[in-house]
Formats: sequence, structure tokens, C-alpha cells
Amino acid sequence: MRLLRIVATLAWRNLWRNRRRTLIMVAAVSVGVWAMIFMNALMRGMVDDMVRSGIESLPGHVQVHRLGFRDDPSINNLLPLNDAELAAKLDAAGLVAWSSRINVPAVITSERESRGVTLYGIDPERERKITFVPNSIVAGRFLEGVSDKGIVIGRRLLDALETDLGKRVVVMSQDPDNEIADRGFRIVGVFEAKLESYEETMVFAGKSTVQRMLHVADRVTEVAIMSDDYRFVEQTVQTVRDKLGADVEVLPWTELNTYLASMLTVMDGFALVWTIVIFLALSFGLVNTLVMAVFERVREIGLMLALGMRPFGILAQVVIESLLLLLMGLALGTLLAWLSILPLQSGIDVSAVADGMEMFGSSSVLYPKLTMADVVLANVVVLGLGFIASLSPAWRASRYQPIEAITKV
Amino acid sequence: MNVTVLLAWRNLWRHPRRTWLTLGAMVFSNVLLVFMISLQFGMYRLMIENTLLTFTGHLQVQAEGYNDNKKMRQIVPDIQALSTRLREKLTLNTVSPRAMAFVLASSKDRTYGIQVLGVDPEHEPLVSSIPGLVEDGRYLQASDTAEVFIGRVLARNLRINVGDELTLLGSGRDGSLAAAVVVVAGIFESGVTDLDRSIAEIPLTFFQDTFFMRGAGHQIVITTPDLSLVNKTVAAVDSILPKDEGLVTLDWNVLQPGLKQAIQADISSAFFMYGVLVVLVAFSVLNTQLMSVLERTHEFGIVMALGISPGHLGRLVMLETAMMGTIGLFAGAFLGGLVTLWFSYNGFSYPGMEDMAANFNLPSRFYPQVTVLAMFLGPLVVFLFTVLSALYPALRLNWLHPVAAMRAA
Amino acid sequence: MTAVRCIDLCKTYRQGDQDIKALDHVSLEINAGSFLCLSAPSGGGKTTLLNAIGGLDAPDSGEVWIAGRRIDHLKKSELAQLRLMQIGFVFQAYNLIPVLTARENVEFVMQVQGLSAAERVRRSSAILDEVGLSGLENRRPAEMSGGQQQRVAVARAIVSHPALVLADEPTANLDSRSSDELLRVFVELNRKYDTTFVIATHDQRVMGYARRVIKMLDGRIVDDIEQHAD
Repeated sequence: MRLLRIVATLAWRNLWRNRRRTLIMVAAVSVGVWAMIFMNALMRGMVDDMVRSGIESLPGHVQVHRLGFRDDPSINNLLPLNDAELAAKLDAAGLVAWSSRINVPAVITSERESRGVTLYGIDPERERKITFVPNSIVAGRFLEGVSDKGIVIGRRLLDALETDLGKRVVVMSQDPDNEIADRGFRIVGVFEAKLESYEETMVFAGKSTVQRMLHVADRVTEVAIMSDDYRFVEQTVQTVRDKLGADVEVLPWTELNTYLASMLTVMDGFALVWTIVIFLALSFGLVNTLVMAVFERVREIGLMLALGMRPFGILAQVVIESLLLLLMGLALGTLLAWLSILPLQSGIDVSAVADGMEMFGSSSVLYPKLTMADVVLANVVVLGLGFIASLSPAWRASRYQPIEAITKV
Repeated sequence: MNVTVLLAWRNLWRHPRRTWLTLGAMVFSNVLLVFMISLQFGMYRLMIENTLLTFTGHLQVQAEGYNDNKKMRQIVPDIQALSTRLREKLTLNTVSPRAMAFVLASSKDRTYGIQVLGVDPEHEPLVSSIPGLVEDGRYLQASDTAEVFIGRVLARNLRINVGDELTLLGSGRDGSLAAAVVVVAGIFESGVTDLDRSIAEIPLTFFQDTFFMRGAGHQIVITTPDLSLVNKTVAAVDSILPKDEGLVTLDWNVLQPGLKQAIQADISSAFFMYGVLVVLVAFSVLNTQLMSVLERTHEFGIVMALGISPGHLGRLVMLETAMMGTIGLFAGAFLGGLVTLWFSYNGFSYPGMEDMAANFNLPSRFYPQVTVLAMFLGPLVVFLFTVLSALYPALRLNWLHPVAAMRAA
Repeated sequence: MTAVRCIDLCKTYRQGDQDIKALDHVSLEINAGSFLCLSAPSGGGKTTLLNAIGGLDAPDSGEVWIAGRRIDHLKKSELAQLRLMQIGFVFQAYNLIPVLTARENVEFVMQVQGLSAAERVRRSSAILDEVGLSGLENRRPAEMSGGQQQRVAVARAIVSHPALVLADEPTANLDSRSSDELLRVFVELNRKYDTTFVIATHDQRVMGYARRVIKMLDGRIVDDIEQHAD
């Protein structure tokens, strides 16, 4: 223990013998660590946003369908359970929120134009806890109750149809007998979404109204279920599976939208690869600094060995010197990252490439997300690999023969 | 041989380990840059080609405003004749007219909202890859009238096959009801679910009759032999178009704004990462060259006393750095080229990339190409920063006093 | 003719909390072709005087003239040019560039002076022969003895035939035989080219070769002796 204190003191003082070199290396480590954390926070924020908006459009963390509905989203693939049966089973399951709905492909027609859309027949009360739409109304109102006779459509669809709030539109789809089922709706609300495509393709009406229009009584096509955190949905999936039995398909969002799920894994992989790449780029400089520091002190090291210090003491001294240097860089880099992310909390506007971001599935404002996990990752990688990288020069230093080292010019 | 050059070269190898480590940082970054840039450029090109040649084409002639609103009455009048004239004037055969409408498509037992396209069976295969993706039956022919070519997923969802009938129901150019019964001539599969689920093609003349188009259409799709010819072709088309009919020529940037912006977004995040790598290399070089200058203080003092100017010594330091940079440049470009070459034969994929790639019309395994530009772009920037980072150690020599310098050990 | 003239030179250093007068109103004239020895104990001011004469260090006050030109107010670059073309320097040991061979060390200065490659080779061969180093041209400093290294340094100093050679403790790290060899080279060159030699030293043996010995103490000239060498 006393040895360690002496060795640590020596390491610290040695670090400052060549102040310029140490400062440059600390600066390099800081920049590297800053880049690791900052970039990861940026990407993390983007992926988080993608997943969130993706889940909002599904919506729900877990969905229940009849087998085959996802490939053939038709009114013929109704869930085998009706509203009352679903309520009996799911209300007792202790879920955060759930809602049943009908969603079918449809054509919406105004006086002038028609468009293909997905018609959602929803229960507005339950849906409030699940979808973003109730909070994104920019004109008119959201639906009030399952029997509401109005329809809520996106801003862009409203423009495309050349219609307006309060005007009538006709929605056409098919009933289970493949007869055309159509009905006039008054537009009662307009919503905006982060992604333009949602505004163009999603329309909402009261569930009972849609059920009547499609002649499906109290049946639905889909149940959407929320869990506490989108990252941990397995428990919810299991609960719902147990409740509803095997003849329905209960899937988490990760399987409903594999693109989003893969983004999460890709992001984790990216964070690790990026951190390691940066470290490798740094490691050359680190080892170089240590090699130089040892080279300059050959005589001293010989002297210490001659005075009876064990080779391990020399090794420890070099390794500690390296770790102290890295720690300074890490502290500074982490602080820098935090300071640079702080003013960006309100979002970075990247609307110049908004359509491009939409292709990724992300909106045009990026919110960098500083996660503890990424900070820890950067610190652990740098310290861990830094330790390994400094072993080689440290080992060489501890292998000097005292006499040779002293007489070396 | 020039003594200064010789001196610089020998100085470089005074501490071989140090030089190798610094070169290591350079080569590491260069290899990474070469590979990443090759991969990126190749991916962008493929992304553009795949996306555009599926459907959109490199440029289109449309009525002003059609691209934003896609309204039935925003027409290109007398579209066949205009297409023929463009073909003749541009001496380019890859010009094809289209018309588009949203309709309800009903089979015996299913109904879906889809996009129906009126196409010229003769020229459509020249501008779009979809006609070539026949899975079943055949593509449309010039002699066809009430025939339709649909996607695989749509056929499955509608439960129809080649030879079956399909009823289309929508509104015509004037807003009146338009309906037609068509027979499935062929089925395509592009692998892009959105296309396979929602697209049906019918002969343009039949479309025009059904939707009361009176000879008009909505877009003339043009592809050029190479992406680089797009701007010239846009200008040429503009000069051919009749002046007073409100027609515009739009290039792919306008038609698919997401594509270019997605690339821009990707480029900016990639350049941030490259920038960090380059800065880290610069730090490494700065540290090495500063050390190398500091340890030669005594020597520099002597030669300055002999009358050699600080500027001359500064140039010597710059020359040393440039030599090191040149080795790093070529070694990095060469090794990076080799790595890229290996992947160009064996393909590159990243776990979880499949879904992401599909989102951008890319294959899941990618084969980068070795190009001179990609090989040298990154390494040249690294070289530049290497030389820049030696400026500080080199300029410091101007403040070196010979007497004080000679006193240094 | 006067090679070097110093008028009333003063220079004070601060060491810790003490002012040290390295030069205290020193005036001196050195004729062309002299072989002069500056002798003083450590800290006696000889190196400071030598540096002032060579334009390496500016005095606090006073004037320095070299070959009829006042140099103490020249710019750094002008001083560098002056040293490069007109003054040769020899220092204590370890003053060669370690990564260059004997020949290359000599050529390096000539190259900066702008001489052609052929001319450089001719002159470096001649001068290395003259200082007795034929056959060792391609050795690096580490492969030569201290005396040989110093002779390379001398060769480097005089290769462009400067009118003035300044040497600061050139024998400090040499054994007596090497010292004698080196001094004989000095004497030879002094005779042959009429080069002015100013050697700062506290080595008695060196003074034996000098025709004029100036003794300094605490920054002042205390003795100025003309003598016949040998």
C-alpha cells in the first residue's frame, strides 16, 4: 500500500515533467471522449425519436391480430373475440392501457379528389393513452365517444383532397361480404404528425360508427396495448398471450416493425464500434507518449532498480501514469460532451434535410440523448483498453537491467 | 543527395518506435476512411439508381403543382404526342407517359384502395424495372385494352390470379364516377412490400377512356443513360415543352427529395466522424513532432549558432512531417484499397443492416468498388492535417534562442 | 587590420536573487590573423564575451564591430547570415548532428550557404583531409572518438574559410593527446589562411599555443599578455 502511494506520487509528478506533451495527450483524449459521447447521444436521440414516432404510428407497444391479418389487412380477418369478450379478459390483466379498433384500407373521396388511406375506427377515450393524435389536433376537435359521426384526418390529406374542416367526405371500403361499404363523414378535426406520411394516410372515426358502416356488429381487427417502457415489452406480450389464447397473434412492436427494432440493435452496435474506433485512433498516441516518457527516464528507472525498487513498481508507475492521463482526458471529455449537449436539449433543427430524415423514419428536429449507459461505455472502454495498451511500454520499462540503464547515454 | 532531405529522413528514424506508432495512427485512420468512403459512395449511387429506376425515373414532365398535390385535373394534355416529340428531339427512347388515379379495386371477395397507373406498354419497360419483374403471366402489350398488371401482395390479398377479373372504382378527371372491369394479365414481385401491395398498371389509352382524361396524362417519365446527364436533359426538355401550358420539368431531387437529403444527412454525420478521426491523428502528429523538436533543442542551438536560420530548421521539421505523412498517405491508401478490394469480392454486411438496407432499396450484402477518388480523398485530408499540425512545433523554433538552446541538455 | 573590436561591453545576468556581472565595461581589439586565448575561471565572462562577438547574445550596452561592421544591433536573420558566411564556431563536445556522417555534417552548412553538390564534395573532402580525417568521412559521430568529432566540428567551422573562428572550450572533453592534435590543426589553419582564432578556455595547455592571452575575472579584463607561441 505504501509502495502504491509512492508509485502514484511518482507517476503524477512524472506526468507533469513534460507538461506540453501531457496536455496535448489529455486534449486528444478529451476530444476523443467528447466525440464518442456526443455522437452517440445524437444517434441515440435520433433512433429514440424514430422508435417513438414509429410506435405512435403503429400504435401500441404490443398488438393483437387474427393470424394472417398483417399480410392481408382486410375486414375478413376480424379478431375471433368481440368487444365484450376482449374487455372481460384484458381489463383484468393489469395492463397500462389497451384499446381495440378496426383498421381497414379505404378510399376517401372529397368533391374533387380521392386518396387511398387506412381507416381507423377507434374508442377515443381509450385511444388517448395510446396514440399521439388527440394531442396533435391543430383545427377542430378530436373524436368524442365511439359513436361520433365525424372524422379526423391529417393536414396534408386535407390539402390533397382540397376540402376543409366541416366539409363532408365519403369513405369507401368493403364489408365482410365484399359489398362496397361507404358512408359520408363530416371532417371534425385535423391533426399534424411529425412524419408527413402519417398525415397523408391515417384517418380516424368512431369505432361503433365504423362497425355499423362495415356491418361487423361489435367485432374489431386489432388490439393495441401499451407497456411501461417500449424497451421492455416481453412481459406484456406474455401476459396478453396467456389471456387471449393461441388463435390470435400477439406481437411486440419489435416484430411488427422490424426496421425500427433493427435500428435499436444497429444503434447499440454502432455505439460500441464508434467508441472502439475512436479509442484505437487514440491508442497510438497514448502508447507513443508512454514509450517516450519511459525512454527519457531510462537512467532514472535504472537508478530506482539499483536502489532496490522491484520491477513491478516500475510497471505500476507507468500504468498508473497512463491511467491518470486517461482519467483527466475522460473527465474533461465527459464534461465537454455534457456541456455541448446541454444547450441542444431543445432540439437541433435539421429541417433542411427533413424529407431525408423522414426516409430514415426520423423527424426534422433531433434531440440528443445523453444516456448514462453511453457515458459509462466510453469511460469503461477508454480505461479498460487504455490499461491494456499501456502494459507493453510498462513491461519493457520494468525489464531494464539496472547497470545498463544507468550507463545508457 | 540533398543533405537536408537526408537529414529529415534520418531524423524520422531516430526513434523508430515513435515514428511507427505515429504512422500507425495515420494508417489506421486512412484505411478506415478509404473503406468507409468507398462503401458510402457506392451505397449512395446504388440507392439512387435502385430508387429511381424502379419507378420514378431521373426526371419527369408534369403539370405545375402535380408533384405536391397529385390531383387528377393537374394534367399534361395530349401526353402521347408530347412523349413522341420528346423522344424524337432528345433522340432518347427512354421516355414514357403515365396517368395516375387512386381507386378501390374489388375482386370477388376483397376490396382494397390502390394506385392505378395508365402506362404505355411499349415504353414503360424502358424507364421502370417493374415490367421486368414478371412473376406470373406477362407484362402489358400494346394491343391490350382492359388488362391489368398487379403486385404479388395485392394479388394475394385480393385472392386473384392471372386471368381473374378485377373491378376498379374511382373518380374521373372531372370528379364523376369512373369504373372499369379489367383482367389480370400478369403479376410482379419487386420485394418492396409497399409497391407490391398498392400498384396496378393498365394501358394508358384504356386509363384515359375510363377516367375521362381526353388524351391527357399526369407525368412523362424520362431516364438518362447516366445520372450525370440529368441536368443537361432537364434543360433540353424545358426548351422543347410548349410554353403556355403550365408544364414543368422536375429532376429526381424534386421528385424524391428524401433521397438526396437522406444522403446529405448521412454524409454530414459521416463527415463528423471522419473529422474526429482526422483531428485525433493530427494530435498524434503534433505530439510526436513537438517531442522530436524539443529533444533536439541542444542540436538546434548549435546549428543556429553556425548561422542556420530558424526558418530553415522549421522547413526541416515540416519536411520530416511531410515525409511521414507521405508514407502514411500511400500506405493507408494502399491498405485501404486492399481492404476495400477484399470486400468488393466478398461483400460487406453488418448484422441488423438488412432491414435498414431494404428501407433504402439496397441489398443486404454490399460490394464496395475501389476507386481512385475514394482511395485518396480521406488520406489526402489526413495528410493535410498532418502537415498543418507540425506548424506549431516548426514555428516555435522562431522563438528559440541559440545560447539558451545550447544550454539545454 | 582589426578583425574584432569591442567597446565598453556590459552584460548582467540575474541568477536567483543575485545580479551577476558577466561583462563589466569590457573593451578589446583583436587584429586579423591573431591566435588569441580568452582565459578565465568558470563564470568569468569568457563565454558571454565570445557569444557577444559571435552575435549569439546581445550585450546590455556597448558596441561590437566585426571586420569594420557594427553588429550588436543587427536583426536575428542578419546575424544568422553573418555567422553562416563570416564566422566559424566550435563548441564543447557533442556539437555534431548525430544522424549525419562526418562529410554530411560538413556539407550541411555549405548546402545552406547555397553551394552546388560538386563544390560541396570537393571542399568537404579537402577540409576533412586537412584536419586529418581522410577515410573517416562516412562515419557517424557515435562511431568516432571525441577528438575526431571535434576535428569534424573544426572542419565544419572553417570549410567556407571564415575570417574569424570562435571556439568555446574546444578541448573540455578531450584527453591531452587529442587536445594537442586539435590545437595543432588550429595553428596550422591560422598560419595557412591567416584566420583569426579566438579560443575561450581555462585549459593551460591551450594558452601555450596562443600568441596573445587575455585573462578575465568577474567580467573584467585583468591581464592582456602578448607572447610567442611554442
